[in-house]
Amino acid sequence: MEATHPTTVSDCDPAQRATTRELCRGLWASVPVLLGFIPFALVLGAQATQKGMSAVAVPVMTGLNFGGGSEFTAIRLWSSPPHLLLIASMSLLVNSRHLLMGAALEPYLRHVPQGRALASLFFMCDESWAMALADAKRRASINLSMAYFMGVSIGLYLTWVVFTAMGAMLGPLIGDLERYGFDMAFTAVFLVLLRGMWRGRVACRPWFVSLVVAALTYCLMPTGAWYVAAGALAGLCSAALMAPKEGK
Amino acid sequence: MPDLATLGTIALMASGTYLTRILGYLALRNRTLSPRMRHVLDSVPGCVLISVIAPAFVSDRPADLFGLAITMLAATRLSILPTVVIGIVATGLLRHVFGG
Repeated sequence: MEATHPTTVSDCDPAQRATTRELCRGLWASVPVLLGFIPFALVLGAQATQKGMSAVAVPVMTGLNFGGGSEFTAIRLWSSPPHLLLIASMSLLVNSRHLLMGAALEPYLRHVPQGRALASLFFMCDESWAMALADAKRRASINLSMAYFMGVSIGLYLTWVVFTAMGAMLGPLIGDLERYGFDMAFTAVFLVLLRGMWRGRVACRPWFVSLVVAALTYCLMPTGAWYVAAGALAGLCSAALMAPKEGK
Repeated sequence: MPDLATLGTIALMASGTYLTRILGYLALRNRTLSPRMRHVLDSVPGCVLISVIAPAFVSDRPADLFGLAITMLAATRLSILPTVVIGIVATGLLRHVFGG
């Protein structure tokens, strides 16, 4: 439609221009993180075809589901035919942290119409969620920049779907990427995000509770994703206990 | 073309994942939060992120622990990209040297 008009929207509408700028800022911010996605995506795709999943099914799964942890779990449990209920319930468990993440994001989404919020939440992953929240905190704003969030999400989503598909096609050619230290990329990203959220030792005491409980749970139950649920919940319980008195 | 069992599994898995993404948001929509609840929600990001990476802190490979220490040091003063590069290179080199 706009193409029939001689002037483009971005030339005259400042709101539109601001949105585009935020979108690009998000896209740019997603670059270091998506570099970390690539090796994981390749490995996931390669593992999936080794387990008998077709090369077409891989991008269908990663495109509709878009949750790396649950997809690695699904592949580990994959068989032919797949155990439908087992895989579905394990995905729920692995992604149960999204419940907390969505709840934490809600106060930052009050300026967004519900329909748009529900649509964009499809793209909420650990990284896009943390980056958008960290960005709002840095700007000392209670409103999430939706265009920034979508910019980050588009970068991450496309990378994930495209490179899992490539992994499925290249399958046997991909060796052991972990050997080269690529798995440290995620830890590095999360550590920088955590530093951005650091509010002093007292305010962040629940983090240490989470870390200790999650690490212990992981040592006792290395399979599955129990450690995420256990660590997060323990941290939140301690936050509730240490909360400042009501009315303060 | 993927078979029906594969598509069904993927569809069920994807709908469950999407539900986890929207339920927390929907549960709090149009609610007023108590200060205690707000304090707890403020701790969610840190607690979730640190739990996700907790396994790195208890790795049984010395190369990984050294790599983590270097990455943490980088994270305290650098932005995401240089920290990621330093983390990958340091861990890759250490694994090579230690034969991890």
